[in-house]
Amino acid sequence: MSYRIAVDIGGTFTDYVALDEETSALKIYKSPSTPKNFADGVMNCIEGAGIPLNEVSFLVHGSTIVINALTERKGARTALITTQGFRDALEIGRANRTDLYNLRFQKPTPFVPRKYRFEVTERLDKDGNVLIPLDENDVKEIATRCKKEGIEAIAVCLLHSYANAVHEEKVGKLLRELLPEAEISLSSEVIKEWREYERSNTTVFNAYVKPVARKYLDTLKEIMKQKGLQHEPYAMLSNGGSATFEMTKMTPINVIESGPVGGVIGGNELGKILDEKNIITFDIGGTTAKTSLVYNNEVRLTNDYYLERTPIYPGYPVRSAIVDIIEIGAGGGSIAWIDPVGNLKVGPQSAGADPGPACYNIGGTDPTLTDANYISGRIDLKRFLGDKYNIDIHKSRDAVAKIASHYNISVEEAARGIIRIANNNMMNALRLVSVRRGYDPHDFVLVAMGGNGGVHGPFLGKELHVKKIIIPRNPGVFGAWGMLMTDMRQDYIQTRVTPIVEDHLDAINSIYFELIENANDVYKSYGLYDVYVTKAADIRYVGQEHTVKTPIPGHTLDSKDIPLIRKSFESLHEQHYSFKLETTPIEIVNYHVIAYCKVQKSEIKPIKIQGSTKDAFRTSRQVDFDEYGLIKDVPVYVREKLGNNNSIQGPAIIEEKTSVTVVYPDQKATVDDYGNLIVEED
Amino acid sequence: MAGVDRFTLENVADGLVAAADEMFLSWARTSQSTIIYEVLDFATGLTDAEGNLIAQANGVTGFLATITYSVKSVLKKIGKENLKPGDIILTNDPYTGSGTHLCDVSAIMPIFYGDKIIAFAANKGHWNEIGGKSLGSWSTNATEIYQEGLQFPIIKAYEQGKLNVAIRDMIEANVRTPSMTVGDLYAQTAALRVAEKRVLELCSRYGSDAIEMAIKQMLDNGKKLALQELEKLPHGTFEAEGYIDTEANDIDDVYIKAKVTITDDSFTIDLTGSGDQVPAPINCSRYGALGAARVVYRALVCPHADTEGNEGFYSPLKVIVPDGTIFSAVRPYPVSCNWEAFSHLVDLVVKAVAECVPERVTAGHFLSIVGTIVGGIDDKTKEPFVLCEPQAGGWGAGFDKDGESGLVAIDDGETYIIPAEVAEHKYPIVVEQYSFNLQSGAGEYRGGYGLVRDYRICNSNAELTTIASRYRYKPWGLKGGNEGSNNKVQVYHSDGKMIERATFSNYPLGNGDLIRFITGGGGGYGDPLSRDPKMVLEDVENEYITIKEANEIYKVDIKLKSENIYLDIENTNNLRNNK
Repeated sequence: MSYRIAVDIGGTFTDYVALDEETSALKIYKSPSTPKNFADGVMNCIEGAGIPLNEVSFLVHGSTIVINALTERKGARTALITTQGFRDALEIGRANRTDLYNLRFQKPTPFVPRKYRFEVTERLDKDGNVLIPLDENDVKEIATRCKKEGIEAIAVCLLHSYANAVHEEKVGKLLRELLPEAEISLSSEVIKEWREYERSNTTVFNAYVKPVARKYLDTLKEIMKQKGLQHEPYAMLSNGGSATFEMTKMTPINVIESGPVGGVIGGNELGKILDEKNIITFDIGGTTAKTSLVYNNEVRLTNDYYLERTPIYPGYPVRSAIVDIIEIGAGGGSIAWIDPVGNLKVGPQSAGADPGPACYNIGGTDPTLTDANYISGRIDLKRFLGDKYNIDIHKSRDAVAKIASHYNISVEEAARGIIRIANNNMMNALRLVSVRRGYDPHDFVLVAMGGNGGVHGPFLGKELHVKKIIIPRNPGVFGAWGMLMTDMRQDYIQTRVTPIVEDHLDAINSIYFELIENANDVYKSYGLYDVYVTKAADIRYVGQEHTVKTPIPGHTLDSKDIPLIRKSFESLHEQHYSFKLETTPIEIVNYHVIAYCKVQKSEIKPIKIQGSTKDAFRTSRQVDFDEYGLIKDVPVYVREKLGNNNSIQGPAIIEEKTSVTVVYPDQKATVDDYGNLIVEED
Repeated sequence: MAGVDRFTLENVADGLVAAADEMFLSWARTSQSTIIYEVLDFATGLTDAEGNLIAQANGVTGFLATITYSVKSVLKKIGKENLKPGDIILTNDPYTGSGTHLCDVSAIMPIFYGDKIIAFAANKGHWNEIGGKSLGSWSTNATEIYQEGLQFPIIKAYEQGKLNVAIRDMIEANVRTPSMTVGDLYAQTAALRVAEKRVLELCSRYGSDAIEMAIKQMLDNGKKLALQELEKLPHGTFEAEGYIDTEANDIDDVYIKAKVTITDDSFTIDLTGSGDQVPAPINCSRYGALGAARVVYRALVCPHADTEGNEGFYSPLKVIVPDGTIFSAVRPYPVSCNWEAFSHLVDLVVKAVAECVPERVTAGHFLSIVGTIVGGIDDKTKEPFVLCEPQAGGWGAGFDKDGESGLVAIDDGETYIIPAEVAEHKYPIVVEQYSFNLQSGAGEYRGGYGLVRDYRICNSNAELTTIASRYRYKPWGLKGGNEGSNNKVQVYHSDGKMIERATFSNYPLGNGDLIRFITGGGGGYGDPLSRDPKMVLEDVENEYITIKEANEIYKVDIKLKSENIYLDIENTNNLRNNK
């Protein structure tokens, strides 16, 4: 027997999925996350699930350790070394005032205070030529200061180091000699992209979390080994791939968004299995909803990630390969409230798991989306959580009555209002990733997951006019399932502005060659050889700022490739920005090499599920379908008892262990060969 | 379909706000001009059929009034009855509604549902080039508007969906970058059609009655929010005065004054008594003043009135100003640096009420955006280069916080200062320094720090155009806090000569010359002697102030003993008690 397992730490629960390599059978398990010591929760999960670690061929772990250390400001005491004249650049940032009319706006406080920011005499020009040589005495003095101040981690970010890392490397070497106990992060080892503030902040974040991440990964690996794990464990990265724990320790910033990525990767892998190229993933949990768009089976990366950003707060830029996900404060626990002018709002405040929705009956009195869904007959919480909580519909009604009495309407009408507002919020997020970026939803399938994916997914998919809606098997742990499907992936990005003309082909080829060689060397140094790469470039029209990520042929480029690259750039440019500048020359800004290392996996096979709609029928009840009105005697089915190809005509409710699917009157739901529920217009 | 209940109306309202937002994103996405998609120097919005603002999306504060008054100027000049589906009207006339300067062009489109105008989509943005005497069209030494570019006096650029080719040809003939400028006209007008499409989708889904009901509810909610907040503000009359000291065209400092009257249901700004319009481009038109008034009104009343930031919300605001002042220039007085009058108006109103609403404001900030152009012909490429940017500076302290350091001024917003590494790729310069100017107003909370930004010219030729105010007058302190520091621009010639001024116009530079922009620090809040000695210690540790300054300004005794800095509390108490 051999298993692949994924353990994914979430805000409330740690999810576990084991895939039997021979049969494709899944075992799932959940246990509460343990914020005091996350490794405990991970091990509880592994032990609770009961599959011994010595039968595990591949273990991947999605953790929140990095993002927690950052948001809770519990990282190392960190210093920053910069070029002379730029000590304050980290604090100045880009100087933008996001909260336009607020005279009391506050900028983000840098993670390194001024007293720990040091300048060294040195300067490179934009091409990496040395204008002022490095004064090593400055570094020695700084090392002495750092020692005295008890600095645990040092970030080094010098101007134009992406073009030439020579000074950073010298500083790094000296510091590693003088301060062997401190963790050193050089910007050129983290990200070779221009823009000094963004690169400095990313390097500072990496340094800040490095000691914490190292300790966590080392401890967890040690315990797993003791419990029988024979292979190097893997960490899920924000780029949608994985890396060994050892590699992750060097650049832990690359796991900053490892959690939500699983669902996107899962959606894409599911799409590949079902022959769907374009996918919108939608993951609705207790507190937030997350959505991402996959085009042509390619997961999109964002170049616009900021920690803690809101519409009125700029947050902190992180330049790392991160899957593009939009997250909004709309989930089952989202609280409904009335704003000062009398509008009904839902979220972003959430009742979470504690005190939870009012019906949980453990102290929550605010009306939540879950309470509204319960009142409307869409979900039957007694059946779901009856063994855990003393579920009480009256508590839901009492809570929603607060909204109802404000508008002088019935509790049912208020519940419908809450659902309608929440759906509208979710719709806005879905439109943002699709229509507003120039994609036509008709070309996409919607993969709805998370505990509430099936509750809202069918309606949202209908409104968005997607081809069909897929509610995967075990939607509650789909993110962890997605993690099982990954290969190892490292992204190497290098800024070097190069015109795409014949004269520069040699330069272009040699930059790619260096990046690929470096990628191979990195994998090799961890004993990994099965590496394959894809190339891309951020290209723009000369004179424009914005770039478009464009695929680049894998072979050594020759003059015939130039018009092909231009064509592919122009069609992408037109899709993103709606115009072409046919006579304007183009240039590469960033070179991008994606280096994968294959992880051995067996193929996902169809599974035979016996069942019939007749057996699956459980009961019928009255359900509020909003615009379709209140419908009596809506049949309720048990998903686990439905077999392959069973089809259910809406209106219907399909319940399963961790979720519910609400099928609208003009929709039908069918179980496919892999056990997914496919919801389509009838 | 369920009937039109209030939750449906909320979703419709949300859809209208989203339409304005989508128009914003669409233009940013489709523009070829970096001043649109990087600097976000534009705004988009929807009004009702009478020109009342329903929803607006902004990248900077400066365009807050321009959507509504541009539409109203169309209604006034052309008239509803002469508008047809597919018409798009252009105006950049500062004196009749477009408000700011000629570079900012408004485009307005009536949205017809059936044969009835249900709303207007409008947007306004900075065109890179609109002709006139200077590259980039704004200058610091114009004396008349005719030098500042091509004027669009509320004209139909599209009639029933068809481009008026004569207008396009005139634009092409009058600007220095015809293809980019015309490209931007297309992007700007295409964005209007995105909003039209969304509004019509809402109409066909919910019916035009629901749209009209939703608009009415939005405006009612806006007003309701404003009245709720006005009730909480101190009522009475508050006054402030000051000077605008740019020295542009060697004019004298311009006296400015504002009288602010707040009641339960009105907020009136009376600018009567402010100095006359001047033959330098620092004036704003009446509509510029209305924009500044909206910015400061919103800042004081409810800065986060996003969904409600509509005509209803602004309805209690009134501005009184006679024609022909610095805040109400009339043709042909120049306005290309109108942000100077605009920003000073905002600042004056804040200053007037600050002592009475300390919890809603901060002390004075560096204020002038120090608009800058460094241009020339690049020796290597032989192509022209133009670095055009604002500077960031120090903001004032608040009742519970130090001021912000290195932040763009009130007239800017989601405005990003260009990274040194990118600037050095684009322009033949080296950014030798980007650091704090450690002069700011002391106080219980101290002002934020301005910046020092150095550009070394690495080219045989270049010229500098820039304009700053608060060159001699400093940002004001609040509740006993000290004044901040001045903005200034210095040129260090390679022969050792240094020139310092507030304003430069096409000032020639050569290889090795250095331009230093020094922006002011913000004003302080409260008595410096009330500053927590531990915060003073931190300021010393962070090298914001010296031990000597801690002692002299804050009367805090900080000692240095074998390289360790510590606070002598006992001595501090003695120093402070014997003041």
